[in-house]
Amino acid sequence: MRRTDSLPRRILGITGKVLAYLVMGIFAMMTIFPIIWLIINSFKSNAEYYLSKLALPHGLQFVNYSGAWNVGDFKELIGNSFIYTLGATIGIIFFSILAGFAFAKIQSKATPLIYGSFVMGILLSIQSLMVPLFIEVSQLDKLLGTLFQTLHLLKSAADFHLFYNSRVGVLLVYIGSGLPIALYLSTEYVKAIPTALVEAARIDGAGYFRIFRGIILPMSVPIATTVAILNITGIWNEFALINILVSKTGLKSIPLGVMRFSGTMMADYGKQFAALVIGMGPMLVFYIIFRKQITKGVSAGAIKG
Amino acid sequence: MRRGIRSRAEETRAYWAMILPAFILYMLVLAFPIILSIVLSLSNYNGGQLFGGAQHWKITGFQQYERLVNDPQFWLALKNNIYIVIASIFGQLPLGFIFAYLIYRRIVKFGDFWQGVIYMPAIISTIVLGIMWSVIFSPTGLIADVLNKAYANSFSQSLAQIFHQAGGFTVNDDIVKKILGVSDPKALTVFANPAADLKTMLLTYQPGQLTVMSSDLTNLLARKWTPDFLAKQDLAMLPIMFVVVWCWTGMYLILFLANMQKIDPQLLEAARIDGAGEGQVMGWIVLPLLSGVIVNSAILCIAGSLNSFALIWAMTQGGPARVTELLSIYMYTNAFVGAPNFPLANAIAMSIVIFSVVLIVATKLVEKRYGGKE
Repeated sequence: MRRTDSLPRRILGITGKVLAYLVMGIFAMMTIFPIIWLIINSFKSNAEYYLSKLALPHGLQFVNYSGAWNVGDFKELIGNSFIYTLGATIGIIFFSILAGFAFAKIQSKATPLIYGSFVMGILLSIQSLMVPLFIEVSQLDKLLGTLFQTLHLLKSAADFHLFYNSRVGVLLVYIGSGLPIALYLSTEYVKAIPTALVEAARIDGAGYFRIFRGIILPMSVPIATTVAILNITGIWNEFALINILVSKTGLKSIPLGVMRFSGTMMADYGKQFAALVIGMGPMLVFYIIFRKQITKGVSAGAIKG
Repeated sequence: MRRGIRSRAEETRAYWAMILPAFILYMLVLAFPIILSIVLSLSNYNGGQLFGGAQHWKITGFQQYERLVNDPQFWLALKNNIYIVIASIFGQLPLGFIFAYLIYRRIVKFGDFWQGVIYMPAIISTIVLGIMWSVIFSPTGLIADVLNKAYANSFSQSLAQIFHQAGGFTVNDDIVKKILGVSDPKALTVFANPAADLKTMLLTYQPGQLTVMSSDLTNLLARKWTPDFLAKQDLAMLPIMFVVVWCWTGMYLILFLANMQKIDPQLLEAARIDGAGEGQVMGWIVLPLLSGVIVNSAILCIAGSLNSFALIWAMTQGGPARVTELLSIYMYTNAFVGAPNFPLANAIAMSIVIFSVVLIVATKLVEKRYGGKE
């Protein structure tokens, strides 16, 4: 037997350790420094910014924030962002657990085909489909408008909007695009719930919707949390789709407001930086509070790809 | 017997009632747009009513794809997309793996902190990050500012030295030559005849105006860093590739770390006892055990990079002069900027879908060919 007490407890030599800290430190610095720099400079006046980009501000220019708040119409947008994020997240959770329950616990010949089509959708991002999606939603509005007009439910089909320029439309698209991965996770989760529980309830005469409400939903809180975590930041920050789905200011979300401050030729840097800080603030706070859960959710949610 | 036909029918009803809401929404946003895209990319439909009414569009065949193949902008966009894919696969994955390994083996302490910091960009809006980096890289931005101050500093120091050696402010050919020597060649192009013109200029200053002259010369002749690599076609993608790696390395760090923590610690302990070095532990135990996860991450990487739109849109909007256009931006500008060209945009959408399917299948084949058990 080899003696193990002489085994070096150090995992790497001192040079290795220094190198490891250096690489890690540089990358982490590159991550955190630009963000802190941005926050600091959002409190500077324009003149101060031009004078030095690295110095600390002399006074705190909160006027940058009130200016950016007004120019970006953030007062209106922040409410929309909350509606889209909460609405779509709740929708995704509900519909995915509902369908996941059916896939996992009700026998059907249709399951492999439909479930398979969902799983395929995990990799197809609808960002690449934004043009056909735009055509689709505007055509659906026209179709429904004409239909309602001929049914005399509407006076004019022209200003009927269910999908384009409508909160409902944005929510439906967000829910649909979040479903594949959420459904996959929920189905796998519900499969692990003992079938005996469902069967016992069936023998007692409970319908499937009662079982869903009484047994499955309460037991699915952990997977619902994961799905929520995976979706909240994504939906709050989503830009590509809402950019084509909405043109009215009153319906836009925060990223669209921030985009107004793009371009390096902005005359007012302080305001631009303040807008960027407003844009990242809520998610930064969310991250600081729920970092543990977010980390867990990300590793659980992306394992299969 | 009590649960007979009625129960079976109820079961089927419940099944469809539960699945249909999700399925319809899914069809609405994914399956239907794909079908629409295939059809419209083969047609001349360019706005207006699609169904019913007087049809003023028809199927015209593969015209748009032909146009696409002959458009140099398409190939540039495709090349840029491949750059992004390369940066993701050879930047995000190895860095994420190394960081995860350092934390997993406790080679660096405070693993939680590092992980928290490195993942941070992934939760911030890509619009915010894109604008932030475009400002940092811009000619009036942070990098230019820091570099230019450093250049100006070293230039005025060399000036001071030159005059110190000359014993004060005097103008002669030797000094002019020395000043020319430390000047930026690009800045000297303001003079038609640098040596003579600079001498004339120096002679306009009074002997007591050394500091004034020094600062004037610094402004005029010190080296200036301008991010002109953004305007050069082949270099313009570099800052974007950097930001792409910067932004999403943390996600792979989390993924790899979570999977490393599932490895049986006794396995590593045994290897260590048998005298395996850190490199051997990584190469022979951890890496093979994670190969399945790595392949899946590569697929995620490819899918993500092909669909990246917002980050680059916020950073450059495809500019300058469209050299940083990706397929998604190329599609967007064809559909929504200026006169719309929906058929071409639909053909681009299809090419993105086809391209990502090809790359993902290729990755899967590589996995099959070279093993990689999960």
